[in-house]
Amino acid sequence: MKILLYLMSNIGLLIQRYAKQELRNSNAIFSLGLYLIGITYLIYLLGGSNASDNSWNTLLWVVVFFASIMQASRSFEFESGDYFYYYQSIAGPKETIVAKLIYNSLYMLFLSAIAWGLFSLFYGNEVYQPTVFALGLGLGCMGFSIILTLANGIAERSGRNATLSTILALPLTLPILKLVSTINRYAMVGAPFDETATIIGSLVTLDIAIGLLAYLLFPYLWQD
Amino acid sequence: MQQTVYKVIGVVLVLYSLIFGLLTSIPDLPIIEESIRNLFYHVSMWFAMVAMMAGSFAYSIAFLRKENLYTDRRTAALTETGMLFAFLGLFTGMIWARFTWGAWWTNDPKLNGSAITILIYLAYFILRNGIEDERKKARISAVYNIFAFVMMIVFIGILPRMTDSLHPGNGGNPGFNSYDLDNRLRLIFYPAVIGWILIGTWIASLRYRIKNLSIT
Repeated sequence: MKILLYLMSNIGLLIQRYAKQELRNSNAIFSLGLYLIGITYLIYLLGGSNASDNSWNTLLWVVVFFASIMQASRSFEFESGDYFYYYQSIAGPKETIVAKLIYNSLYMLFLSAIAWGLFSLFYGNEVYQPTVFALGLGLGCMGFSIILTLANGIAERSGRNATLSTILALPLTLPILKLVSTINRYAMVGAPFDETATIIGSLVTLDIAIGLLAYLLFPYLWQD
Repeated sequence: MQQTVYKVIGVVLVLYSLIFGLLTSIPDLPIIEESIRNLFYHVSMWFAMVAMMAGSFAYSIAFLRKENLYTDRRTAALTETGMLFAFLGLFTGMIWARFTWGAWWTNDPKLNGSAITILIYLAYFILRNGIEDERKKARISAVYNIFAFVMMIVFIGILPRMTDSLHPGNGGNPGFNSYDLDNRLRLIFYPAVIGWILIGTWIASLRYRIKNLSIT
């Protein structure tokens, strides 16, 4: 029990540290925000405001997806080179991965909420069941963060970060993308909940399974 | 002796399925008709691929436990063989689709699954080529391979079952589901699967031995 509390406080401290690092380096947040605004406006310029439900949903997911990739591609930015040994001395791999996953999930949730807000601003909010939609968005962000963080760790440890992480993560995230876009399409048209529930159930299972897998595999990555 | 027995069985079973697959009598089904014979040549490729990938998955776990580089070479050899079967499965399927559905490629969950599988494993080879240090390469690619296998099973095994597919036996299409995969087909299909898995094991073991020789 005591050791669990100790671990929890350690994870909390790590998350705080990541957040501080991000805020100090405010350039990164602003570039992500600018990307979101720019790409949403670009879509608005090209397509106007008369998008159908299906393309609204697809475009939102494409925007969120690339924002997550951009965000996650920097998730081990501060652990490269000699800093790797420093971080290894202050936290074990299991604490690191849990902290990273929580931090990245929250960050992506924040980004996707902004994207949803921007889309509502430009195209109008066409979502019929906002709770289900938000649930889909949250579960999707969790899944993305797990896969992207692990892929990024792999790319970081192999020493070639820039393109490799995208190549590794892109095909792996497609099952999740497929499931969440289905959930959100159902939420937009207001499908009966028991139909959505089976897909939400399978997405939750998938998230738990890959989260567990990332937790088990990360220690093998996080060594030299 | 043991080494020879499985190869002989594999060759015999594959030859049997190739020849008798064309000769056997088939159930008379609409739309699919004679092209049902592709069951022996196309579906067995995917079974062999999944078997190869499952083998490489098991060796990846074994590598992470013992850190033996020979195990890593077995993983790589099995994955390469699995990719061969994936491409063969894709091509036999495309030819079949051209005649049965009228198009080389359709937006079908199973086709998407196989395309993503190929992308996932191509990324695996890119990852392996990028790392110089043998031990590090083995460890990192083992981590990726375990993750990749689980995602592949989700994509080709679970997602297609949740949506309708154009494939025979799905969404009301006539095909080889439980009630009309009759015994005449089974008699050729199961030997074909076993035969191709044995042949795949043979190919993988050859590739493994080449890898061991070229390492010095």
